Amino acid sequence: MACLHDHSCEDHDCSADWSLYKHIDISKVTALNEAVPGSVKSVFKAWEQRLSSSEEHLESNEGDPELLVFIPFTSDVKIKSISIVGGAGGTSPSKMRAFINRDGIDFSDAQSMQAIQEWDLAENLQGVLEYQTRYSKFQSVASITLHFPENFGGDTTQIQYIGLKGEATQLRRDVVATIVYELMPNPSDHKAQAEGGGGLSHVE
Amino acid sequence: MVLEATMICIDNSEWMRNGDYAPSRFQAQADAVNLICGAKTQSNPENTVGILTMAGKGVRVLVTPTSDLGKILACMHGLEIGGEMNLASGIQVAQLALKHRQNKKQQQRIIVFCGSPIKHEKKLIEMIGRKLKKNSVALDIINFGEQDDGKIEKLEALLAAVNNNDTSHIVHVPTGSSALSDVLINTPIFTGDGEGGSGFAAAAAAAAAGGLSGFDFGVDPNLDPELALALRVSMEEERARQEAAAKKATEEAAKQEKGEGQPSGTQDAMMTERANVATSEVDNKDDENALLQQALAMSMDDPDSGHETRDTDMSDAAADDPELALALQLSVQDGTKDSSSQSDLSKLLADQSFVSSILASLPGVDPNDPSVKNLLDSIQSQTEVRASNLSSQQKNEEKEPKEDEK
Repeated sequence: MACLHDHSCEDHDCSADWSLYKHIDISKVTALNEAVPGSVKSVFKAWEQRLSSSEEHLESNEGDPELLVFIPFTSDVKIKSISIVGGAGGTSPSKMRAFINRDGIDFSDAQSMQAIQEWDLAENLQGVLEYQTRYSKFQSVASITLHFPENFGGDTTQIQYIGLKGEATQLRRDVVATIVYELMPNPSDHKAQAEGGGGLSHVE
Repeated sequence: MVLEATMICIDNSEWMRNGDYAPSRFQAQADAVNLICGAKTQSNPENTVGILTMAGKGVRVLVTPTSDLGKILACMHGLEIGGEMNLASGIQVAQLALKHRQNKKQQQRIIVFCGSPIKHEKKLIEMIGRKLKKNSVALDIINFGEQDDGKIEKLEALLAAVNNNDTSHIVHVPTGSSALSDVLINTPIFTGDGEGGSGFAAAAAAAAAGGLSGFDFGVDPNLDPELALALRVSMEEERARQEAAAKKATEEAAKQEKGEGQPSGTQDAMMTERANVATSEVDNKDDENALLQQALAMSMDDPDSGHETRDTDMSDAAADDPELALALQLSVQDGTKDSSSQSDLSKLLADQSFVSSILASLPGVDPNDPSVKNLLDSIQSQTEVRASNLSSQQKNEEKEPKEDEK
């Protein structure tokens, strides 16, 4: 199994690098123009299983090679590089465009918006190619949307595996989780000083 | 309970003046729109509905998707009829309105009322359908009113292009006595993709049909669950009693041929009597105990009825074919071994102390009550008779194969 690194894979555990899939919020992953609803969830798996085609893969509708994949994370991540394994026979995607931290993008938005980065892909059936990101732009990613506008001439576009390499921070981008609104202050919530005489003062 | 944003496209073209749907096509459509809005907002409070008109001077959005039912109903007033329907533009504007919905988590749906002829080409319609499917927008089509050649074909093609996993539907409403809304209530447009009718739809159906249809026993389970449960339980008991009585009747007919006659029948009668005792207590106890007794009676019924149906089948077959009769009798010898275990069960039940302890646990029954005592005595005597008859039956069967061999 060749790797992009110039060492053999037995020394260096490649699979540990491609572990960002664990931080993906799988239940909220969606795709537009997929032939089978929900099949997009099957492309996020461990590095070792990237070539196993036993499970279903993501396929676009007949005659329409565009695909849009929305990937939210459970915490903010930094993405270093992306790997895509496509299908055979011209069904691999040929271009990829990424959008960061925006949800609800559909095809007309994707075509009109400026992507944060674009790549030209090669057919990567063995999963050995990875595409580096401009790391400074991918520092606190809560969600990434990948748009695949074209493929290598096939009738549909198939994607077997999407791998993300990077680091996960423990931070969350959406700041406000619980807010408590007080109509009147409750002194017991605000005991900062020592008990006894600290809170009240009286004027003589 | 799907979270959905819906855009309803209304046809207010000249063809809507026609009166073949009471009171006029346009009014029937307005009633249906009101019902749909109510159903959608009730099934999930965060659902939003918007309305646009397709004819008139042009496609016009009356209200953008909102959950405020009053606003939606208000905008239905004062709509003017005229012009020609523009289906393609209507759907595209609806799609745009849904794209700019406030809550991006909502699923997108368009409901189109199509009551006049479609002037677009089929190819254009299909392209629009594919674009909707690509952006995962579901489409419901209500075909009513004017039918010209090609309209149904175009609408079916549109549905085929849009449909993704059966989320889109088409309904054809013919002219007739029932109102447009009544026909729509039973369709997946209201019942929402097989999730089961929403409470609104079910209640509306009941009101529309004049009260009792749509619910078992005429009671709305939403309104009065305990009453509905009690009614259902008593229906099942009655059915069980009738089945037992029917089996007893066939049993007696069958047993007279074999010369066994009464014991199994009365065995059955004993079982039904016990079931009756149990069921008469239902009224005195709460539902949980009732169901427990019901289950007990049913389980007592079942082993015996299983045994008896085997007997009936055997007698019917035996009349036809002697070899078959031999095979059946050999198999019944295995069956009697089962029934001996069942008779153990009935012995247990006939055990006076066990039964009286069960009956003592029923609050309404006093074990010292003379009628109960008579019942217990009859149970005991019946089991003795049955046990003796079982042994005689085994002897008969051993004799008959020998006769056949001769």
